[in-house]
Amino acid sequence: MQTAFTPRQLKDPGIAEAAAILKDCVHYGFCTAVCPTWVLLRDENDGPRGRIDLIKAMLETEGRPDAKTVRHIDQCLSCNACMTTCAAKVDYLHLADVARIHIERHFKRPLPDRALRALIAAVVPNAGRFRRAMTMAGLARPFARVLPGRLGDLIRIAPRRLPPASPIGPGIYPAEGERRMRVALLAGCAQQALAPHVNEATVRLLTRHGCEVVIAQTPCCGALTLHMGKERRALAAARASVEAWSAIAADGGLDAVVVNASGCGTTVKDYGHLLRGDALGERAAQISALARDVSEVLFEIGLNEPDTIRPLTVAYHDACSLQHAQLITAPPRALLQTAGYRVVDVPEKHFCCGSAGTYNMLQPQIAGDLGARKARHIESTGAAAVAAGNLGCLTQIGLHSALPAVHTVELLDWATGGPMPPALEGVAIPDPQDADMANAAEAGGDGPVGIW
Amino acid sequence: MTMASEAAFEAFFRDVGEAIGADNLDRSTETLTRYGENTMPAGDRRPTGVVFPGSTDEVSIVVRLANKHGVPLYPTSTGFNQGLGTRSAPAAGMAVIDLGKRMNRILEVDETMGYAAVEPGVSFQAMADELQRRGGQWMVSTTTGPPQGGMLGNAMDKGAGYGPYFDHFGFSCGMEVVLGTGEVIRTGDGSIDHDVGELFNWHVSKYSFGPILDGLFAQSNYGIVTRLGIWLLPRPPAIRSFHFTFPDDDDLEAIIDLCRPLKLTNFVPTLFRVSNDLYLIASEETHPDYAATGGKAAISDEARKALQNKHGLGSWTVSGAFFGPSMEAIEPQIKRVQDHFGASGKATYIDHTDALAMPPLKCAIDAFSGVPTTQELGMLKWRPGGGNAWFTPGTPMDGKTANEFQKLGRAIYEANGLDYTIMNVCGPRFARGLHVLTFNREDPDESARAAAAYTELADAFAARGVHVGRSPIDFYGYHMEKAMPAFREACEAIKRALDPRGVIAPGKYGIG
Repeated sequence: MQTAFTPRQLKDPGIAEAAAILKDCVHYGFCTAVCPTWVLLRDENDGPRGRIDLIKAMLETEGRPDAKTVRHIDQCLSCNACMTTCAAKVDYLHLADVARIHIERHFKRPLPDRALRALIAAVVPNAGRFRRAMTMAGLARPFARVLPGRLGDLIRIAPRRLPPASPIGPGIYPAEGERRMRVALLAGCAQQALAPHVNEATVRLLTRHGCEVVIAQTPCCGALTLHMGKERRALAAARASVEAWSAIAADGGLDAVVVNASGCGTTVKDYGHLLRGDALGERAAQISALARDVSEVLFEIGLNEPDTIRPLTVAYHDACSLQHAQLITAPPRALLQTAGYRVVDVPEKHFCCGSAGTYNMLQPQIAGDLGARKARHIESTGAAAVAAGNLGCLTQIGLHSALPAVHTVELLDWATGGPMPPALEGVAIPDPQDADMANAAEAGGDGPVGIW
Repeated sequence: MTMASEAAFEAFFRDVGEAIGADNLDRSTETLTRYGENTMPAGDRRPTGVVFPGSTDEVSIVVRLANKHGVPLYPTSTGFNQGLGTRSAPAAGMAVIDLGKRMNRILEVDETMGYAAVEPGVSFQAMADELQRRGGQWMVSTTTGPPQGGMLGNAMDKGAGYGPYFDHFGFSCGMEVVLGTGEVIRTGDGSIDHDVGELFNWHVSKYSFGPILDGLFAQSNYGIVTRLGIWLLPRPPAIRSFHFTFPDDDDLEAIIDLCRPLKLTNFVPTLFRVSNDLYLIASEETHPDYAATGGKAAISDEARKALQNKHGLGSWTVSGAFFGPSMEAIEPQIKRVQDHFGASGKATYIDHTDALAMPPLKCAIDAFSGVPTTQELGMLKWRPGGGNAWFTPGTPMDGKTANEFQKLGRAIYEANGLDYTIMNVCGPRFARGLHVLTFNREDPDESARAAAAYTELADAFAARGVHVGRSPIDFYGYHMEKAMPAFREACEAIKRALDPRGVIAPGKYGIG
């Protein structure tokens, strides 16, 4: 696509980056058909191709972005389904980042919007504040209906009960047996408050598989604020994380930075890009190169023989950040199968569940529609539980489905000696012998519709 | 047909809005721009409006109004006719009927008889998702084009997959069609005058009383198909692929002769994908010399060889698959084809597991398995600028002829500074040669060279008595001119009978 930026505009690194990305777009439109918001709203401007044109016009035209453009970009989930479909390999992820930062700098949102965004940006990335806010939301739940606008929505999607605070915190957790790797684990922000058992399972699982796990005192990875266009805060978070992990690497070495929330993992893997040109740029690139989803690390190490086979049927939900941004789809399934679970895919698996970082707080209507749609598909599989590698997805699915939603690492931990995931309490676990008989019948190749 | 006046268009859209709702009509600038976009050398073709009917009755109403006002209609299903026109009409100024927006329902899935009945907007991905939701006992034959491409539109345009049910028109059964007059007919056993209860055999029996009208509606010249029965294949417990790669361009002769007996006996249930190096590699790479040559030269043999070595693929790669009760049970068949291709002395075997880790071969495995995939779309960025057109002649499954056609095609590509990119999709007696022309549409010179290459290919193959299966919108008339006059007149006579005012897609494939 031809662009019309002036030489002066192109001196702005953000504009220069956007100009290079925009040139790749040739309007094939494959992206549009897989875009969840386009599928729901059927508006060209609510698909990537339309948004790319809007971003181009917004950046080319100096001055205040128009409200229509801002609305359509705000409605983008950044699920990146468009990127895995795009034949021209348009880097929509970074184009959207540039657009959001531009909007944040040049567009004055109505006061309630600004207040909400400021509240989210101040609270959610901070585990302590988030935990206190969730406690207050629990107290305010009876009044959610009478609270104004989005505040009521926020309280409605807050969890009804908070689990107890976790003993897992900054420190070194030694490997069991021979040390095979030394890894840093991103403790995360919201996850520490909402689901501390995920980090507990991760530490047990990694140490059991020969990893020495180091948890540093790091802030939020910066993903949440970056996706809200708050570049300064995102960069500060990224710098702090890079410094913390670089210090660990310098003091004892580091084989990987392990992330168990794939939304965060996508951002950590992008630190090299985010901090390019920064004084920490080189170190950021090194950290990005070390960043791995927990499933990648375990797949590489190889899962221990499961203690007990529990042939639970698990619907595996591909978090967008794993399947579309990090392109990780096979390792989690393979690990779950090795652990003895029967893994089924979810229809329409390329589609976002509506969580998308802060999206379900900022765009509750679309997020709700997507969440309900995803829940219907998950339940249609007949699985006993749903697994995913991103807490945001699990929380969102839990709002729309009664099916137990567990992190992949919880299931792997359980299979290799850890406790049963809390969400599975009360779920009937199939007898391995019955499952063997069913598998034997299946292996014969005969089914209700075909003889092989 | 003669293009209607501006006043006639205005009256048409006003009446359509009143009949099916103004919300189901879009004439905004950005929409018209989008619907005119394509990847062809001759440029975009902007329509005058887009109509979104929600049912067969509404399609009938729109067609009757088009007759009343003399307005040309251009129906699209999901609009992903990639390399052949996308969803653009052959000429600017038509009214588009977009059947994909509201008519995207899977009307029926019969899991006993193994068929589905679909509206035009149902995509391969949607059907694959639905079959999975139902327990995964059935599979759909899918293309390696866009997963969001429409099953009905692909079948009507004689598209194909790669498994036993590859012939998408051939494995369709029973249509509902709005004729050019607005009349609605059902074909096959559905044609019985029976509006109460089930039409038991509509989607299970292709040949009923009366002439077999279905073929008339392939290419969508004489009516708008609003419902189609599509047969489904029971999903086997195991699908195991095999791949052989050959080093030299002229190995095609031996390859075709090796494939033929395996298909004549149906020993191999899938079609063979016989792809050249660039067809597979282009999805993973961009033209390495493009900047240096300004896109004016075809890729050099040295650069091709370097890419082959990088990807572990030769000049040609053959892919096929077996179906069976388990991966182990398929082992004897795998051994048999290994011996068969190995006898050539030039084949290097790539097994299923290794192929899964090679994206271009994983794409073939997905295609054999009824799994929609986007992998192959990556070849469109081989050159920048988004230009793409497909030339689709064919060859008998005779090695010598196929190799002669290879030399012919390759020379024309190279003479025009373009990169020979082809997959021969091989059945027992015939292989469709999917020639991909990728070019920089933003470069007028390169665009003109692509158009020239296309017409030179069309002329050269026609001179050897070879027609094409489908055609890009730029060349509809060009190809029809190559048909014998009596055939052309027969096509026009049918058009006059079923669409007397010529409102359905005038000019499509050179008819009307």
